[in-house]
Amino acid sequence: MLLSKVWNKQAPVLLFVAVVFSLSSANVTAQDGAKLYKTHCASCHKIDGRLVGPALGGVQDRWDDEGNLVAWIKNSQQYLKDNPGDDYAHGLFEEYNKSIMPPMPINDEEVSAILAYIVNPDEGKEDAEGGEKMVAQSDVEQDDDATTYWLLGFIILLLIIIKVLWDVKASVKGLLRDVKGEEEFAALDEQVDDEGKSFGRALKEWAGANKALVTLAGVALLVIGLSAVYSGIMSIGVYEGYAPDQPIKFSHKIHAGENEISCVYCHHSAEKGKHSNIPSAKLCMNCHKGIQEGDQYGKEEIAKIYEAVGYNPQTAEYDGPEKPIKWIRIHNLPNLSYFNHSQHVVAGEIECQECHGPVEEFGYPMHQHSSLTMGWCINCHRETDVKMNGNEYYDKLHAQLVEKYKEEGIEKFTVEQIGGLECAKCHY
Amino acid sequence: MSNSRKYWNSLEQYNETPEFKARANKEFAEELPVEDFLGKEELSESSTTRRDFLKYVGFSVAAATVAACEAPVIKSIPYVVKPEELTPGVANYYASTFFDGNDYAPILVKTREGRPIHIEGNKLSKLSKGGLHPRVNASVLSLYDMNRLGGPTVNGEMKSWKNADQKVVDALNEARLQGGTVRVLSSTKISPSGQKAMEKFTESLGDKVDFKTVTYDAVSHSGIRNANKQTFGKAMIPEYRFDRAKVIVSFGADFLTNWISPIEYAKQYGEKRNPKGAWMNKHYQFEANYSLSGSNADIRGAVKPSEQGAVLIALYNELASKAGKAKLKSAGFDDDNQISRKIKEAASDLWSAKGHGLVISGSNDTDIQVLINGINQMLSSYGSTINTGAEVYLKQGDDTGFVNLVSEMKSGKVDVLFVDGVNPVYSAPGALDFESALQKVKLSVSFADRLDETASLCDINATPNHYLESWNDFHPKTGVYSLTQPTIRPLFNTRQSEESFLRWSGEKVNYYDFIRSNWETGLFAEQTQYSHFDSFWNSLVHDGVYHAKNQKTNEITFNEEAVSKAAAQIPAKGKNVKWEAEFYPETSMGTGSQANNPWLQELPHPVTRITWDNYVAMNPQDMVDEAGNEIYRINIAQEYPAKTAKVTIGDASFELPVIPLPGQRKGTVSIALGYGRTKAGQVVEQGDQTSGDQKTVGVNVFPYVGLNGGTMEYTAEVSIEPTGNEYPIGTPQIHDTMMGRKIVNETSLKTYKNNPKKKWNPDIELADAYGKTKPIEELDLWDAHGLGIGHHWGMNIDLSACIGCGACVVGCHSENNVPVVGKDEIRRGRIMAWLRIDRYFSSDMTKVKGQQDGLGKIDMYAKMEVPSAYPETVFQPVMCQHCNHAPCETVCPVAATTHSNEGMNQMTYNRCIGTRYCANNCPYKVRRFNWFNYMADSKFTDVNPSQSDLGKMVLNPDVTVRARGVMEKCSFCVQRIQDGKLNAKKENRPVIDGEVTTACASACPTNAISFGDMNDEKTVIAEKVKDDRTYNLLAEVGTKPSVHYHTKVRNVNEERVSDMIQATRPGENIKSESEEA
Repeated sequence: MLLSKVWNKQAPVLLFVAVVFSLSSANVTAQDGAKLYKTHCASCHKIDGRLVGPALGGVQDRWDDEGNLVAWIKNSQQYLKDNPGDDYAHGLFEEYNKSIMPPMPINDEEVSAILAYIVNPDEGKEDAEGGEKMVAQSDVEQDDDATTYWLLGFIILLLIIIKVLWDVKASVKGLLRDVKGEEEFAALDEQVDDEGKSFGRALKEWAGANKALVTLAGVALLVIGLSAVYSGIMSIGVYEGYAPDQPIKFSHKIHAGENEISCVYCHHSAEKGKHSNIPSAKLCMNCHKGIQEGDQYGKEEIAKIYEAVGYNPQTAEYDGPEKPIKWIRIHNLPNLSYFNHSQHVVAGEIECQECHGPVEEFGYPMHQHSSLTMGWCINCHRETDVKMNGNEYYDKLHAQLVEKYKEEGIEKFTVEQIGGLECAKCHY
Repeated sequence: MSNSRKYWNSLEQYNETPEFKARANKEFAEELPVEDFLGKEELSESSTTRRDFLKYVGFSVAAATVAACEAPVIKSIPYVVKPEELTPGVANYYASTFFDGNDYAPILVKTREGRPIHIEGNKLSKLSKGGLHPRVNASVLSLYDMNRLGGPTVNGEMKSWKNADQKVVDALNEARLQGGTVRVLSSTKISPSGQKAMEKFTESLGDKVDFKTVTYDAVSHSGIRNANKQTFGKAMIPEYRFDRAKVIVSFGADFLTNWISPIEYAKQYGEKRNPKGAWMNKHYQFEANYSLSGSNADIRGAVKPSEQGAVLIALYNELASKAGKAKLKSAGFDDDNQISRKIKEAASDLWSAKGHGLVISGSNDTDIQVLINGINQMLSSYGSTINTGAEVYLKQGDDTGFVNLVSEMKSGKVDVLFVDGVNPVYSAPGALDFESALQKVKLSVSFADRLDETASLCDINATPNHYLESWNDFHPKTGVYSLTQPTIRPLFNTRQSEESFLRWSGEKVNYYDFIRSNWETGLFAEQTQYSHFDSFWNSLVHDGVYHAKNQKTNEITFNEEAVSKAAAQIPAKGKNVKWEAEFYPETSMGTGSQANNPWLQELPHPVTRITWDNYVAMNPQDMVDEAGNEIYRINIAQEYPAKTAKVTIGDASFELPVIPLPGQRKGTVSIALGYGRTKAGQVVEQGDQTSGDQKTVGVNVFPYVGLNGGTMEYTAEVSIEPTGNEYPIGTPQIHDTMMGRKIVNETSLKTYKNNPKKKWNPDIELADAYGKTKPIEELDLWDAHGLGIGHHWGMNIDLSACIGCGACVVGCHSENNVPVVGKDEIRRGRIMAWLRIDRYFSSDMTKVKGQQDGLGKIDMYAKMEVPSAYPETVFQPVMCQHCNHAPCETVCPVAATTHSNEGMNQMTYNRCIGTRYCANNCPYKVRRFNWFNYMADSKFTDVNPSQSDLGKMVLNPDVTVRARGVMEKCSFCVQRIQDGKLNAKKENRPVIDGEVTTACASACPTNAISFGDMNDEKTVIAEKVKDDRTYNLLAEVGTKPSVHYHTKVRNVNEERVSDMIQATRPGENIKSESEEA
């Protein structure tokens, strides 16, 4: 029953999604316009500000003839050639340093759709993105572990039973009092409760009678206590789940998840050296020159990048002072251990997620997924096969190892088998 | 009954005197000096009880523990705009050049995140071929010297450049108007662009100004230039080609570490010390001091400085008789240590190698140098081992010019004086009294990185950049150019001297553009390889070196007359004085310009092995009186400080400890220059000597340098008296001889060529449990590590090529963050160097001789301990031998030292608990224990670079800085191995031979150290390990080291094998006779 309850929870969501989809299908043109705008225009234009090209908001008002505008949009250079007398178009071309807008492979209908979108950009957006958001949300819930619900349900059930039993007891007592009268009931109650002895004495007597049980309980308590102390000690210096506040509310989910930006686009030195770098703020500008507003925090967080690189989004110029962003480092290895990202990423061909977890699902703040303890490292070195195939560095070694492990008849070797557990592989 | 027997400690106890009774109740016989260590009155008045104290301690420990559990907040601040070439965690190498007016070396600078951290040689240079000198690779530490000035000073106070420039320009303007006198006193300058800048400056002064530049070297070589002027008509230094010389005879020239261009010469020399090569050079050295070059000589003669001329004439005459030429009038000399026999041998060797001989002298005496030229002319050396077609521009110091300048200054004639790159108040001969001359100059401008002895007396100090922050170009030799490029932005508000001169001449151009335009109009125009200047310039900056083609060959005419004239000047008989002193530049300190560099202070002198001091080096036989009683202590150790002597020269005197140096010519002493700096910074204040009220490291003997006919003379007559005072000495080595063991296996070229390996490098055999003799390799106490798979890193050290210079030691310090410990700790035997160079003197007593003389073992060993009066010397670099049956690994209780499957003995600091069992069990004594927290302990603040924020920048971020209480040792530069392997993996290829090398191997100027994968048959190391000369140090212990040594082969004309080999098989034919009978 519980299981079906959990499943049933999804139903309204799915239903809602279906409704949203059916609703949004009524607004096809605006949707297409938005899509077309993103594909063809957004890299150089914004609706409400200058980017590479002028702001597009109110463009129809600036052009007298919509036909000319469509022609201009489709192929601006051709338009300039055909209409040498159009001072506005030529002026525009001059104003933007003669940067050429490339001919657009779109038909008139699509241009109109884009223009319609520009006039009313919010209409399609909300619905479309609302739908996306919902889908994303339901995805997350689906992914959640069902055992949590099981556990929750069980606890609730237990509480209910306790409550019921308590109530039964109380009503039985009440009944008894009614039947026996107040005085007799009090005597009886005392007799039932502890037969006239104090609670401490009763406990002692009970303990004396149940020595085995008490010993067992004592041992159990001791074990639980010790293991709590042990795990407490072992967690010193282990910062699994460490998620400090960062100067910018950066979400990996948006970047790596939704926009599917590859990890090494930003953390490029993970492929080159020991550190996986935090990208320089200038690298953020590759995208955020265009994307000036986010869904969650609007302009506030992205403006912090502009502040850091000294960028003025109004003039599209880098004219301010540079101020480095002081991120809080999350993954900290002690100085005594040497770790090299490129060893693992390039030579070991390990996915970032194997150590850092499903980062593309982590929103703000980013947290440390693994324990990063030595035992955790060693464990992986014991289990992971070295990617020897196709790497000439390993050719000779592989042949020798195959010979060495002839009896076992293995062809794949773990990091341990090539000496990956030795101290001086990480400590020097 | 017997149990009731009672014992008394004393009669007082027996008698039970009242005093005894009173005392017996006390635990300690004496009052404990509690007040001394709890001396503060406030402390005893404190109301804190013991219980309270414990509470506080408990609480603070708990609080600290809880606090430590909190996640550390570590900021990570990325670049705003990342430089394209820079990846965090990946080292960048830049080609540059070291030149400080004295040493020249093309280098590669390793930088991490924009900080230079290590220096290696530039293998593209045809001059140095990647060679280094300890003073060069230590120079990276001088960049981060806390005592560097942060900007220009006026009258000793920090001022802005505007202020300082205004003062200089005003003075120059006045000179321009009034026709004043302007002088530049500089070290040797070999920068073509710098010279152009100076020309601009000269032009800007106009015609009215009396302007002159004077070049001055602290250690002068002007005698050679003067001699060449006499014999060839041009004051120049020719190119010496040690790689073409089959016989080298050096009269006191320490060409391996200090003479003219030592890195170049060491490289060439090392190439020809291979007994398997086409030929092996034969090296004679005649000198008073036991120099590094002398200790490498095949045959060495000890000659008094005053007799050098006479000995030289003897050689000339020997050769003249062979050549059928007129002999010179001979001057007699004392035939100590068979000098005349050795001269005869040298002459016949030189003559038979005619055209391939090279005779040089380190003397600054023009007459002696003329005589040297005469000998070389007779040997047809010119055109082969000496190339007059190429000129060396190093050591341009003009002693006469300097002396004249000082008298000009004294006359008050000099209006403006620029002092650039030299420190004459410290280094000029005392007779000149440069200090008072400087006071008479109207405006003195110095260029020093700190207010040193000279700069502190100058009006303005135009603080220059460190060379690692500068652009420059150099032209050390005809056809050889190199470039210095900055590898870090100037740390302080400094400006290089060339730029200052350009500024003062009114030029608006910066020095970088100035150099570029010079190259564009100069050498770019002369070459044809590049059509665009930018690509030419880029290749130049990338390579760091440039070799111009079309060297002209220079026809020379030799002026024979000069020789006989010079010979006539040489005194008939040496000075008949009790003591002659020689002043010499030491390998680590040189002229003292890097005195504040603790790496160099801690680098032991190669022959005496003494650190942090200069001293009077004396032959041990001179240290006893006629009755054989020690006047000065010979066996110096921690508990046995040296005795000092008062050295008097003229009316000045100083006190220095006397050190035994076997091989020092009897009747002479030698004292190192470059010590006794007073205003170099905090490091020199760590010494045990004093100058005025300031502590110094050693005593400055530059003031005692004499002036002889306009050239500086580094010898003097002295009187020496024992003072009876004691002086502690910091030396890491006490044992002087090998005591008949085969620590350094040695043979002669003759034996090596004509005998199989078993005669001179026999395999060591031991009897197993059943009494059966087996080679040591087959006897195992433990299971072997399976090392046949993958890499097996190994090292080979060719003892024939090793000259003992110490570049490897400094390279190791720099690469591995080895702490500096200071003299006091060295004295206690706690030097931290992972790599040491052991030096052994030969002894007159050998096992064979002991057996022949019928000596008992005790007598024999006692005599073996004593080095010969004039011994031979061997050097042996020793680092962790990475034993494959390592004694240290088996005794570690916590498995902190373990074996890698690549044959390395690993040391895990975070596991080590400091029992030191491993060090006790190590037969090579290469493990070092961190007795202190060198990175934080206040005792080491002034010597240890890792303690200041600035000094920390030199640390290698890939190597842990060790904490107190752990063992450390050579790791085979495991960080480099891991890096090399990773690069290969990332590039899908096997490791290339030579790509993985240790810091010591890459620093070695003679390629004595080679490193690589012994399992890869194609590597150099695999081939070297198979060589006949290979042996392992203490192989008989069965440790199976991964470090191998190559038997030292001395080019002497006799049969020779090591004493131990000889002694173990009496009656065999190889006869050993001591060189110094």
